[in-house]
Amino acid sequence: MKGSAIVTAALPWLVIVLILAVIEAIYRTGHLPIFLPSPSMLWGSFIESPTLWPANMGPTLWKAATGFGIAAGLSLAGAGLGAVVLAAYAPIYNLGATLQSIPIIATTPLLALWLGTGAETQITIAVLVSQFPMLNGAMQGFRAADSRQREMMHCLAASPLQTLRYLILPAALPFIFAGFKIAAPAAVLGVITAEWAGAERGVGAVMLNALFAYDPPKVWLSVIAACVLAGGGYGVWALVERLVVVWDRPTELRQ
Amino acid sequence: MSRDIEIAQVGIQFHQRGETVIALEDVSLSIPKGSYTEIIGPSCCGKSTLLRLIADILAPSSGKITIGGSPPAEARRDHAIGFVFQQPTLLPWRNIRQNVALPLDVVGRTSHRRSDRTPDQLLELVGLGKFARSLPAELSGGMQQRAAIARALVLQPDVLLLDEPFGALDEITRQKMNLELLRIWTECRTTALLVTHSIAEAVFMSDEVVVMSPRPGRITARIAIPLPRPRSLAMMRDPAFTVAVNQVREALFGDEAETLPGGEAY
Repeated sequence: MKGSAIVTAALPWLVIVLILAVIEAIYRTGHLPIFLPSPSMLWGSFIESPTLWPANMGPTLWKAATGFGIAAGLSLAGAGLGAVVLAAYAPIYNLGATLQSIPIIATTPLLALWLGTGAETQITIAVLVSQFPMLNGAMQGFRAADSRQREMMHCLAASPLQTLRYLILPAALPFIFAGFKIAAPAAVLGVITAEWAGAERGVGAVMLNALFAYDPPKVWLSVIAACVLAGGGYGVWALVERLVVVWDRPTELRQ
Repeated sequence: MSRDIEIAQVGIQFHQRGETVIALEDVSLSIPKGSYTEIIGPSCCGKSTLLRLIADILAPSSGKITIGGSPPAEARRDHAIGFVFQQPTLLPWRNIRQNVALPLDVVGRTSHRRSDRTPDQLLELVGLGKFARSLPAELSGGMQQRAAIARALVLQPDVLLLDEPFGALDEITRQKMNLELLRIWTECRTTALLVTHSIAEAVFMSDEVVVMSPRPGRITARIAIPLPRPRSLAMMRDPAFTVAVNQVREALFGDEAETLPGGEAY
């Protein structure tokens, strides 16, 4: 049985290697269109300027992380306020939903006019696109403790703070993590989109420059860099969730 | 230590969709300290409501309840009441020992109310010694309810209230749990009040069976059970047992004892 588990784990990688080998073979026979670089061209482009990637992924990462952090703080505070002051619940939720539904492709140039093309604009966009999944998750989460559990805490004469600590917060965690896992890649993609409006550094800047220079390998490498950052953002929170929420896996299918 | 429960002319009304529903009307009952009482009645007769009034989960519209002379709110804040819900209501992120110790976390280290039984000893008492580190989801419904009983006992309550604690369990497990509960009560000697649906169970377990009727909820009979303690299953063949069961049945159904009202199996 152990052998089959290894095969299951290795299979996706084998498929990727196979696809890359096929593309390389097509390129060698001269049948690959010019806009599709071969794996070897990508590798060549990468080792031509290896420092280019960390130098540009770094700024994108810290801007996305900063935006994510601000959005997480605002969302948790907003959801907490909505849970305590019931009259504030609907306005806060609606504000988050409204901000979420404004297309960032429309807000980015406006923010660039207002704030310039520095980090402020990109961080603001990251906040705007990542806040709602977290707000939505936290708001659902703070209501996740059921009435029987609340009654049980009441019977124990628990203070509001104890009820928060022993019941409300742990019950909310799976929902909060579900929001974080959606918000983290969104923050990365928000920053990259904002970088298109003008930025000196960042994955989005490299992408745009490579596009204007008609450099397909570099465009593809910047796409891969974007995927690595976005996937990494998801992966970090999925891992933290796995370590923290050991009692419940609501967002994963049981195997 | 245990306390008596005094219920005097208690009534409660609920307002829903513009209508007033009288859930309990003029209920008076005194339960001596250290006794074991079960309340029986059809659905919607207010028996759970009565239990929740005693536990200070609800407040009565009229009348007065005292627990060892104190109002329920005071008794609750004094952690004098242990409550076992119909569902185990364990916190899924705490293991079984942590769930049983939750009341200790809430009262803190300064409280005078400390059990002379540690959570581990209580887990032994309810037969869960080996499962202290398990999560609730890893245990069966019956085992979870045992943990809930241990949690209700950890602060040595003067009054133990149980709202159909074994209602969600199968018949065989329920029988076992009832015997366990009697054994635990014999050791703890707290005042116990349990809501049930089962006539035989109520008679077998109780010093006194309280019969309630619905719309509006009120007490229609109180039947003392003359069986000696400790109880054993053999007593179910005792003529006194049969007499008491018939008394409860008549109190519940009156002349209609032959044609049972629909919707419920007794």
